[in-house]
Amino acid sequence: MNTTARIVLLVIALVVLAPAAGMLILAMPAFGHPLSQYGDVVNALAPRLRNISNMVAAVNFDIRGIDTLGEECMLLAAVTGTVMLLRGHRGEDMSERAGRVPGRKQPSRSDATVLLCRFIATVLFLFGIYMVLHGTVTPGGGFQGGVIVASSFVLLYLGESYRAWRRIVLGPALAALEGTGALAYVLAAALPLLGGYAALQNVLPLGTWKDLFSGGLMVAVNYAVGCAVIGSFGVLLLEFMEETRAPENDPVPDEEDE
Amino acid sequence: MSWLVGALLELTALAGSLVVLSRDPRRQVYALCANGLVLALLFFALQAPDVALSEITIGTVVTPLLFFVALAAAAMNKARR
Repeated sequence: MNTTARIVLLVIALVVLAPAAGMLILAMPAFGHPLSQYGDVVNALAPRLRNISNMVAAVNFDIRGIDTLGEECMLLAAVTGTVMLLRGHRGEDMSERAGRVPGRKQPSRSDATVLLCRFIATVLFLFGIYMVLHGTVTPGGGFQGGVIVASSFVLLYLGESYRAWRRIVLGPALAALEGTGALAYVLAAALPLLGGYAALQNVLPLGTWKDLFSGGLMVAVNYAVGCAVIGSFGVLLLEFMEETRAPENDPVPDEEDE
Repeated sequence: MSWLVGALLELTALAGSLVVLSRDPRRQVYALCANGLVLALLFFALQAPDVALSEITIGTVVTPLLFFVALAAAAMNKARR
């Protein structure tokens, strides 16, 4: 499509869509104006009914827990699909040498980078675990904590070399973590059915409000999501990172790995 | 508080435009990082700290990293041919 045709198409689209967009913008509620009573109802009911102090977790893991189960399965399917796509092209050989682009300079890491990455990666890892554990008490939860833990893996890669990173971040362990987390969520949904309850019905003792283990079944589901997210994001990073490693039969020597 | 939200919204628009306007893929990824950071600040100012945490890790760490890996893999493949 040439430039003139594109501009003509743009003008036609603008003539049609701009008035509609303008009308929609004028009809929108004011900024910060509450839209529905849903939030107020949850805020009023969840602490009393479930002894939970993080309302987002109450919505995600209890009130609309089945939706989150669907999202969990989507994440699992997406990561599995990515792994199959990448490995189908690359094969499963486990070379530990990082690849390099010829002609691009590779400055060695400074001691400060290595030290800072080791320190921050440790703190970040612990913070992610903390975030998963306190999912039902403070803002955050399984997903947030899981991606924070996964981002500490990225810092490990930045601070160590590719080879050391591959030794620290264990693919099979991450895959097992991912599968276990997803399975635990499915079990949390299915086991109450055996007792004659509804799926995901909160049958566990609810604990005390603002306590670490408050929320009953939500605690278990939150941990399951945390495990699954750490596993799936770790696997995702690992699989993508393997795209940059040198092929087994590549004769180009690698200067970065010592 | 509203002036802070207003300023952050303008920063978001600026950062988003920079992502679109930068033509070099590598610079575009850095612009994407900045956009993610600004969005995280905006979510934090709008009192959604959990969404801000997700945005800061997904938007400024994981997504840019995957883009960088894709760019590096493409460059290596090109050199091999």
